[in-house]
Amino acid sequence: MLHLEGLGCGYRDMQAVHDLDLNVEAGSITALLGANGAGKSSTLMCIAGHVEIKTGRIIYQKSDISDSTPMSRVRSGIAVVPEGRRLFPRLSVKENLVVGGYVRPKQRSDGGMAKVMDLFPRLKDRLGQTAGALSGGEQQMLAIGRALMSEPELLLVDELSLGLMPKMVDICYDAITALNRAGMTIILVEQNTHRALEAASQVCVLESGHAVWKGSAGEAAGNQEMINAFLGIR
Amino acid sequence: MTHRWRAVQTYPETIYSMLWFELLIQGIIHGSMYAIIAVGLSLVYGLLRILHVAHAGLFTLGGYLGLLLTNATGSLILATPVAAAVVGVIGMIIYRVCYHPILDQPPYVALIASIGLFIAMEEIYRLIFGPYGLSYARPPLQFQVQFFGIQLRAAEVGMVVVSTVLLTALSYLSQKTRLGIAWRATVDDPQMAASFGIDAVRVRYLNFFIGSALAAVGGIYVSLLSNLVEPTMGGVPSYKALAIIVLGGLGNLKGTLIAALLLGIVEAFGTIYIGQWLDRDAIAFALLIVILMIRPQGLFAGR
Ligand SMILES: Nc1ncnc2c1ncn2[C@@H]1O[C@H](COP(=O)(O)OP(=O)(O)OP(=O)(O)O)[C@@H](O)[C@H]1O
Ligand SMILES: [Mg+2]
Repeated sequence: MLHLEGLGCGYRDMQAVHDLDLNVEAGSITALLGANGAGKSSTLMCIAGHVEIKTGRIIYQKSDISDSTPMSRVRSGIAVVPEGRRLFPRLSVKENLVVGGYVRPKQRSDGGMAKVMDLFPRLKDRLGQTAGALSGGEQQMLAIGRALMSEPELLLVDELSLGLMPKMVDICYDAITALNRAGMTIILVEQNTHRALEAASQVCVLESGHAVWKGSAGEAAGNQEMINAFLGIR
Repeated sequence: MTHRWRAVQTYPETIYSMLWFELLIQGIIHGSMYAIIAVGLSLVYGLLRILHVAHAGLFTLGGYLGLLLTNATGSLILATPVAAAVVGVIGMIIYRVCYHPILDQPPYVALIASIGLFIAMEEIYRLIFGPYGLSYARPPLQFQVQFFGIQLRAAEVGMVVVSTVLLTALSYLSQKTRLGIAWRATVDDPQMAASFGIDAVRVRYLNFFIGSALAAVGGIYVSLLSNLVEPTMGGVPSYKALAIIVLGGLGNLKGTLIAALLLGIVEAFGTIYIGQWLDRDAIAFALLIVILMIRPQGLFAGR
């Protein structure tokens, strides 16, 4: 579904990711792992269209989207749950969801919201509250909900579990696996190696912007040497 | 104004309360004029972090176009929306030509460009329309109306009504429509808004169109009140509007509206009670200084 071919990307004169090849099958969960500053977020935001491509290209559903804008990417089914959630803090929960569904017809907005409420019933009582006033867990739910409103086929999730209490982490992972079972393709960036390996089908490990290990999640979980070398002990 | 002051001292209690009421109404009239001008400035600041000084030049242009069109057609009702729309489009052009290319520069670059543009606009008006100012051939809305015992000019009432209607419509647009939500999302986080398909550039065009059109309407009503349009008529409103948006908490729309009304009212009372020491047009800054001493962030939290 998504192919990164020799992708290099970065900021002005700084290149964060080098020569990355990655194939993402439809219906899979790909975990992008690596230490701080390895280039995980840059890769994700590059797929979403926010980080400048220096080399290589991005093929999504058979077409080259390397030059397309974030707007056309969300229209074609790529949505992002960014690092730090980046909700619209002064908009209400409901308005955040409306923005999420901005590229879809207005009539589908209510249906989309009902689905988000099914997934995260806690948001139901908070629709009128401003997003900035939500707890960290609720913000993460809303960030996922906002992305779902755009009816994505490929969901890019950055730091799903960061800063959340264990129960919240469970809720968010349950949501992600449920979405995946319903057919959504997911790329997951995680600090929490253990949880990511549980959920993922394939794994790509980055170090200083280079892919240093690729394989299935099962192989990764069994390869203690690799985990120690690149991911630290978790 | 001084004759009123003297009159007050010799009149009984009831006249005092009548005077206060009249001052309040005068304050609201001026406040609604300030509001319709300052709103555009606040919108631009909220979206782009630019102090759009040239906004006052659009206010002046609104006055000119409103007057010329009214003189040509004899209809203020026709002239107002046409002038507002033309000025709105010119506001969009100013964004495209002046600000769009320098958005990634530090904010003072845009500020300098804006000041330069404002000066240029005044000179252009002087060249095109002449230095002495224009008047209405047959000034509309000059008849008197009674309002709870106060004599008001129809243009004053019109200023308040038009400003209230337009600002209410703006508030509806921004709070209740998808477009308004998209607009506020872009103010909060332009990159994320783009990530969900909102075109930031189109939002900016809309922003400049609406803000400029509102300023034009303000310019038309000011020209009706004074029956005069001149190249420099934007000067005083430009610095007062700056004071207002700082008072209201930079980029905070509700704060801007309240600060505008507050300034209008304080000025109205100030002319009577402190008018001997402080010129009317200096009151804005006195108020600004006093309030910033107490609340450095302005009356309301800014952005
Ligand atoms: N906006 C930016 N401008 C310049 N350099 C950046 C920017 N964002 C990230 N970088 C740099 O790019 C490199 C990769 O950063 P990135 O955020 O992709 O890492 P990451 O793997 O997501 O790290 P973390 O686990 O800390 O989130 C880092 O060296 C970082 O300093
Ligand atoms: Mg990151």
